[in-house]
Parts: sequence; C-alpha cells; structure tokens
Amino acid sequence: MAFLARRLGFYFAAFMVAITLNFFLPRWMPGDPTTRIFMALRGKMRPDQMEMLKKAYGYDGSLLEQYGQYLWKLLHLDFGISTVNFPEPTSSLLFYAAGWTLFLVGVATFLSFGIGLVMGIYSAWHRGGFFDSVFTPINVMMNAFTPAVVALLLWYAFALEWAVFPLGRAHDINLVPGWNWESAVSISWHAVLPVLSIVLVNFGSWHLGMRNTMINLLNEDFVVLAKAKGLSDRRVRYRYVARNAILPQITSLALSVGFVFGGAFISEVVFNYPGLGKFTLNAIESRDYTFIQAQLTLLTCSVLIANLISDVLNVIFDPRLRTSGGH
Amino acid sequence: MSELTESGPFIATQQSVTNGNPAPTLDALMGELKIKRRPGFLRRFPSGVQTFLTNGKGVAGLIILTVFVVMAALAPLLSPYDPYRRAGKPHVQPGVEHFLGTSRQGKDIFSQLLEGGRTSLTVGFIAGISATLIGLAVGISAGYFGGKVDEVLTFFVNVALVLPALPLIIVLASFVEEASPTIIGLVLAFTGWGWSARTIRTQTLSIKSREFVLAAELMGEKKWRIIVREILPNMSSFVVGGAVLATIYGILAEAALEFIGLGSPSSVTWGTMLYWAQRSQSLQTGAWWEVWPPAVAIMVTGAALVLINFGVDEITSPQLRAARLGGRIKKFLKRRGRSVDVF
Amino acid sequence: MFSETLMEVRNLTVDYVGETSIARAVNGISFDIRKGEAFGLAGESGCGKSTVAFALARLTRLPGLVSGGTVRFEGHDVLQFSKARLKAYRWRETSFVFQSAMNALNPVITVAEQIMDVIETHQPQLGKRGARARAVEMFELVGIPSQRLDDFPHQFSGGMRQRICIAIALALNPKLIIMDEPTTALDVVVQRDIIEQIVELKSRLGFSVLFITHDLGLMIEFCDRIGVMYSGELVEVAAASSILTAPQHPYTRALGNSFPPLTGPRRRLEGIAGSPPDLRALPQGCRFSPRCSRAMDVCTQVAPPLKYYPQSQGQAACHLLQ
Repeated sequence: MAFLARRLGFYFAAFMVAITLNFFLPRWMPGDPTTRIFMALRGKMRPDQMEMLKKAYGYDGSLLEQYGQYLWKLLHLDFGISTVNFPEPTSSLLFYAAGWTLFLVGVATFLSFGIGLVMGIYSAWHRGGFFDSVFTPINVMMNAFTPAVVALLLWYAFALEWAVFPLGRAHDINLVPGWNWESAVSISWHAVLPVLSIVLVNFGSWHLGMRNTMINLLNEDFVVLAKAKGLSDRRVRYRYVARNAILPQITSLALSVGFVFGGAFISEVVFNYPGLGKFTLNAIESRDYTFIQAQLTLLTCSVLIANLISDVLNVIFDPRLRTSGGH
Repeated sequence: MSELTESGPFIATQQSVTNGNPAPTLDALMGELKIKRRPGFLRRFPSGVQTFLTNGKGVAGLIILTVFVVMAALAPLLSPYDPYRRAGKPHVQPGVEHFLGTSRQGKDIFSQLLEGGRTSLTVGFIAGISATLIGLAVGISAGYFGGKVDEVLTFFVNVALVLPALPLIIVLASFVEEASPTIIGLVLAFTGWGWSARTIRTQTLSIKSREFVLAAELMGEKKWRIIVREILPNMSSFVVGGAVLATIYGILAEAALEFIGLGSPSSVTWGTMLYWAQRSQSLQTGAWWEVWPPAVAIMVTGAALVLINFGVDEITSPQLRAARLGGRIKKFLKRRGRSVDVF
Repeated sequence: MFSETLMEVRNLTVDYVGETSIARAVNGISFDIRKGEAFGLAGESGCGKSTVAFALARLTRLPGLVSGGTVRFEGHDVLQFSKARLKAYRWRETSFVFQSAMNALNPVITVAEQIMDVIETHQPQLGKRGARARAVEMFELVGIPSQRLDDFPHQFSGGMRQRICIAIALALNPKLIIMDEPTTALDVVVQRDIIEQIVELKSRLGFSVLFITHDLGLMIEFCDRIGVMYSGELVEVAAASSILTAPQHPYTRALGNSFPPLTGPRRRLEGIAGSPPDLRALPQGCRFSPRCSRAMDVCTQVAPPLKYYPQSQGQAACHLLQ
C-alpha cells in the first residue's frame, strides 16, 4: 500500500504543476493579459466595468493573491466565467461536454485494450503463422494513421455514402436523453462511428505490445519449466505467459489515456459530437480563454485519475507490489 | 564421434552400439537450413545495420520514406503551379491540367501536396529528433548521475508522460495567435520527449553497471567522455528506435493539430490541406480529391515509419531475431517426424 | 553397484543455429545413466553440459536444435516421442531443476498452484483435494512449513525457493531428475543444506540424478560416476572416487590440479593455459590439444575416441592411453 500512497503523492504533485502552468500561461504572454482576454468585450464596456471584470476574473491584486484565489475557486469546482458569454459560468458547459468525451474515451479505451490484448496473445502464440504475419503489421500500421484520416474515412464511407450510421451528434436530435431504453439505443448507435475511429487507431499498439512482451517471456525459465511440467497449452499460455505479460501493458494503459483523449477530440470534430473537443475548438475560435484553460485542468485531472486506476490494477495483478516482502 | 566398445560395469547392449539417427555434418546442415554467410558488401556494416537491411519490412519502409523525402525536397522543381496561389477554377476535377484537381480556392492540389510534404516532413522530423535529443539528454543524465539528479529528473519525466499532450498544446497554441508549423514543431518536441527519456534512462542504468564502464571510471576518464564513448554506442539502436517513433508522433500530431484548426491557415501542410478540405465541406460536395491526397500521404508516411520501426525492433531484441530461424528449424524437425521441444 | 540402465544417450549432437553460421555445441556424445545412481556432468562454462541436460529433458530452446543421436529412456527414444507420449514423459518420468530458482518460479501465482497444477494435469483423478494433500506432503519432504503454501515466490529466501523447485520436481515421483547447477546461485552454507536434502531424498525414494555443475569438488562428494566434458565432447567418464585420485585425461588432471585441497600440505595451484576453442573455428584432431602439455603429433590430426580402459575401470578419450 506504500506503493499506492507514493503514486497518489506524485499525481497530486503533477496536478499542481499542471494547474500552476495553467495559471501562469496567460500571465506570461506578452502584453497585459486582460486586454487579450477581454478582446471580445472590449469597446462594449466602460472602464469601471472593466475594473470589476478584472476582479471577477481574478486579475487584480498581487500575484500571490491571484494564485490563492485561483486555487480556492478550483477547490469549489468553480472554473470561472466564460470570457465570451459573460456571465455564463464555464462549469456547466464544461461538465456537459466532459461527460460525452469521457463516455467516448472510456468505451474506446476498454475496447482497444481488450481487442488488442486478445489479438496480441494469439499472434504471440502462433508466431510466424498467417494471422501474425498478416495482421500484426496491418494493425500496427493503422496505429500510425492519424485519427483525422480514419475518422474522415469512416464518416465518408458509412455516414455519407452508405448512410448506415448517422452523420453526427451524440443522439437523435429530437430525443431528450434520459435513463431509458430509447435513449440508450440512440446514444449507442450514434457512438459507433466515433468510438470505432478511435479504436482502430489505438488497438494496434496493444496488439504489438502484448505480442512482443509475450515473445520475450517465452524464453524465461519459468515458462520453460511450465512446458517441462507437461502442463496444457492453455494453462501455459494464460496462467504463465499472458498473466505476466499483462503487467507492462497495464502500466502503458495509463500513459495511453492522454493519446486517446487526443483522438477523441478529433473524432468529435468530424462527427460533430458534443464533447470537450468540439467545444474547445469553438472556444479557440471565439477566444473563450476560460474554457480553454478549464478543459486543461479537467482533462489533466481525468488522466491522473486514469493513472491511479491503472496503479490500482497493477497492485491487484502483481503480488510483488502488495507485500513488502522484497525480492 | 565416439564409439563404445566396453565390458565390465559399463556393459553396452548390442542395440545401442549401432548409430541410430546420425547427425548431418555442419555443412550439410547449413545447406538444409539455408544458413549462409552474408554477401561481402553487407558484411562491412555494423551488425545492427546488417540486421536491419536483411529485414524485408524495414527496407520496404525505408524505400517508401526515401521516395517521399526526395519528392518533397524537389517540390519547387516538380510542382507545376505555385501552391500558395490560385491556379485555376475552384474544385476542378483531376485531369490533364491539374493532376489532382484544385481546391475550393482554386489552388492546385498536386503542387500543394508536394509543398505540404516538404513542410510536414521537415517539421515532423525536427520535432521527432528534438524530442529524442531532449529525452536522450535527460535520460542519460538521470541514469548515469543517479541520486538527487535522478530523482528530480525522473519526476519531470513522469510529469511529461502523464500530462495529456493535446489539451496542453491547445492551451499553448491558443495563446499564440497563429501557430506556424515551426512553433507547432517546437511545442510537440517539448511535450513528446517523455517516452524517450524513460527508455534511455532504463538502458543507461543497465549499461552503467557493466564492467567496461566501471573500468573507464577507474581509469579516471572524464564523465562526459564515458557517456559519449562507452554508454551511447551501446544503446544506439534504442535511440534510433525512439527517434523513429518520435518522428511518427511528430508528423501525425502536427497534422492533427492543423486539422482541428490550431495551425496557421495560410501555410501549406498536409494538415492544413485537410483543414481546408473539411472547412469547405469537400466530401459532401463530392470533391474527394481535396481530401484523399493529403490523407493518403499521411497514412503512407506513417506506415513507412512503422515498417522501419519493425526493422529497428529486431536489432534491439534477440528473441525476435531468433524467430526468423524458427520456421526453418521446425521444418527440419518435421521432415524427420519430430516436433519442436519448446516454442 | 548400479546394474540396470535407465537412460542411454548415443551420439547426441546439438547445434545452435545463427543467422550466418551454426555452432555445434554438443558433438556426438554417448553415456549411460543407471537406475538409482547420481551421474555428474562436469566441465567449464560453455562446454555444453547444460545443453545436454536440456536436450535429455526435451527442453532445447530455439535457436538450439538436436540434429542427431538417440536418447533411450527405458528402451524408448525420447527424441522421437510424439506430443502425447512426450506429455507422459514430462515430469512423470523425468523432471528438471533449474539453476535460478527465482527465475524458475512464476512470480504472479502462489507456490501451491505451481505444485498442484502439475499434479492436476497428470493425475486428475486426485482432484483438488488430493493435489493439495500431495503438495503439503512435498513441502514437508523438503522441510518447508505447509502454512506457506499460499505465499508467492518473492516472499521466500533463495534457499527455500530452490527447495520449492525440488519439491515440484518430486511431485510425481519421477525416475530421473536432471539438475542444472541447482546450487550455483546459493551461498556455501545453503548449498550444503540443499545437497544433503537431495542425498536424503534420493536414498529414500530411489530416483536417479543427472547433476550438472562446474564445481568438481561438490560433484565428487555427491555423485557416483562423473563425466567430464570439454568443448562439446566427453573426454572422461569414471567413478567419482577415481576422478581426482587417478584421472586418465590430461584435462581432468589439470582440473584436479586447479582445486586447492582442504587438507594436506599447501600445493601450488595451476590453472590451464589458454582458453576453450571457438566453436566456429575448431582445431583439427583433439580439441584439447592446443592446451595440452603432452600433446603428440597424432593429437593434432586425429580426434581420439572415447574408449573403455579396464585398468582404470573408466572411459577416456586420449591418444596417450593407447
């Protein structure tokens, strides 16, 4: 458990780095940060109103005071007020969008990991066979296709040309989503292409990673011993090899979450999905800096939580991390 | 070969004296398994390069990449039109006049593809190599110097690895008004060095404890000399592998960022081509030629780099190299009615 | 002493296939292992003794290849076994103990499972209960408290891990146990413990042992007969008692001279000049001739055969004896 405590400490430190960066970035850019941020509102307000604005956005007072205020607000999940749609609080839109993105990312990660792992185990075991010689290179190459291209391809083929799947959005436009069967079907149907575009780009790396780890393990003494004991193929494959090969993959899982978010952003653009990606891009165009910064904070938090989950999984799967027995 | 003619407590039975299953001579075996020395010109290269050059996938990737690089380098010579200006009517279909048609603004796609390749590949390579160099510097320092230096550097490596790149880049890019491809490249280098650093550090740690390094230290060699002359050459394959992966990341990420609109719309890269294609709704209006050329170009470049990476992987892992021979050994055994012992 | 033959190895040849060349690690060796005896295979690192051990247990890893020879276990050639027959051979008739116990145990499953899975595979009629009972029995046999059955390998010390490996090796009561340097990775005190344990178990259960090590002194104490290997070939096979006292082959003699005696007057230690030949550039004739102080002309031209010499009651491959 000391292991988990240490990891938690690290994540907290990393989080502090991220939000501090977020705090300083606008203040490091050349010029008065307020002029840039309030560009959209300039000319519409009187000087004393601008002063009040500055206060509301936390740009008055000494740097230390501003930082303290910033942290305090974050603690209350107050992400500030939109610089474009004043005085709309950012949080509402942020959490709405985040929900959809997390849905895509969660499902996509789960599927990529699962499919990639299964294929990797099969390829490693039947190394050099048809499946391995053909699919391993193909899957890995798909990994190098930019998500934009894959998303566009899928959209063109299955939403435009052969209109099997809807052109975009998270659910049917007339539907008000709720906890019912109709919503579930509509949402799932609309999610197929976006999720598929993310999965296709990601599962190749799990396939290759698992395959290579397993092949490297095949030379280990304990695997040879398992074979020498006359154990069934299945037992050796799963209990001895795969069970050990999965450990580094779990560690990589945490690292890959950042990439999956990137892919999700792009899919959202292509499929007009109401997630963080789409709204962040809107925010970029309309210069809603509060939203842009808020999404960094939120996403960093999500990634760190994903890392923590991966660490917990590591402890579950690797007995060496549980006890302080040492090697 | 030994014979057994004996008596006493070492009684050999008649049956066992006859030589069942004689082994083929070494030459015969080499012939049967098709093992032969490499041709002379190949043998002059270091063994790592030899392994790479005999890997079909790696060589194929290298050829494809070279073709692209050459074409991109010769872009000014090969482009029929100026990629930055209007060259014809908007959305002209591919034909004799415009090899790949024109964009919404009437710019020649083929010229744009070549020019875009120049920028995209350059930025991608520079971003990838910069990220690798930063990772190399951090990784070696952390691994070799150890102690406090290691702790501090590892913390930063982990932070760089853990923080999600895209949102961070978005924040950075949005504060810079128009991110030219160079700026994007730099930003990518600053966010992508983590993986390289971690791998290099692990390798440094394992090489550091080997005897020849200890010997150099005892002889009083200067630290930086040890690093450059003893440690670096031994992990060159890892550095190259890391550089290839970082370049893939660089090219793809750059295209992705420009696609979602973070780049400078006036520059011509594969990513901005996709951006404009998306913007002008080319797919919906049936002008597929605005979308697929840059898309395919990105895919093929990525695929080529991945193939190269397969080749580099074999250099680093002896198990993967041994796998080449596995098939032949299995056939040898099968011909004699025997099965492989272990894998 | 030991009359019945358990395993006959004839002309065993093992090659390592490289990308551009093949190294013949074991060059047509022949020897016997009797029922109930401890046969030792000695030699310096790289002489091929571990390769022989793996070949006999059908554990040759790629890119190794058994290219010739027969290994008859109770009359049947192990190298020709089909998959099904091999499974019966594995562990029930011949088991294996690896050099590094830490690497030989699966780190993510309990040691109980690692003993029980082999019992369940070969003796499914015992069921889980029976397998567990046998596991307890095995642990007690090697002296580990059975409460620790559900612990993981990393929670044990080096010596205990090796005992666990021995317990696993004994689980199905095999006729032959091949041990590849089982004590090399342990310190001397633990080494003694383990060897004594093996001796006791052997006398109780009556299995044969093929014992691989580079430690000649240890081998002489433990084994009944010893085979000395050099560069992939057997140069001498004799009773353990006579290996040091009456070595026939110059290499054996030199090996003996390089061991300091524990008792008696201090003697000058002599190493063996030179180093073993590169397998890709072997000398013609006797492989030891470049380093032999008494090499004759014929030694560099004709390889000496391994012959039995009644006067020493042992086999040796040396022209000097003829």
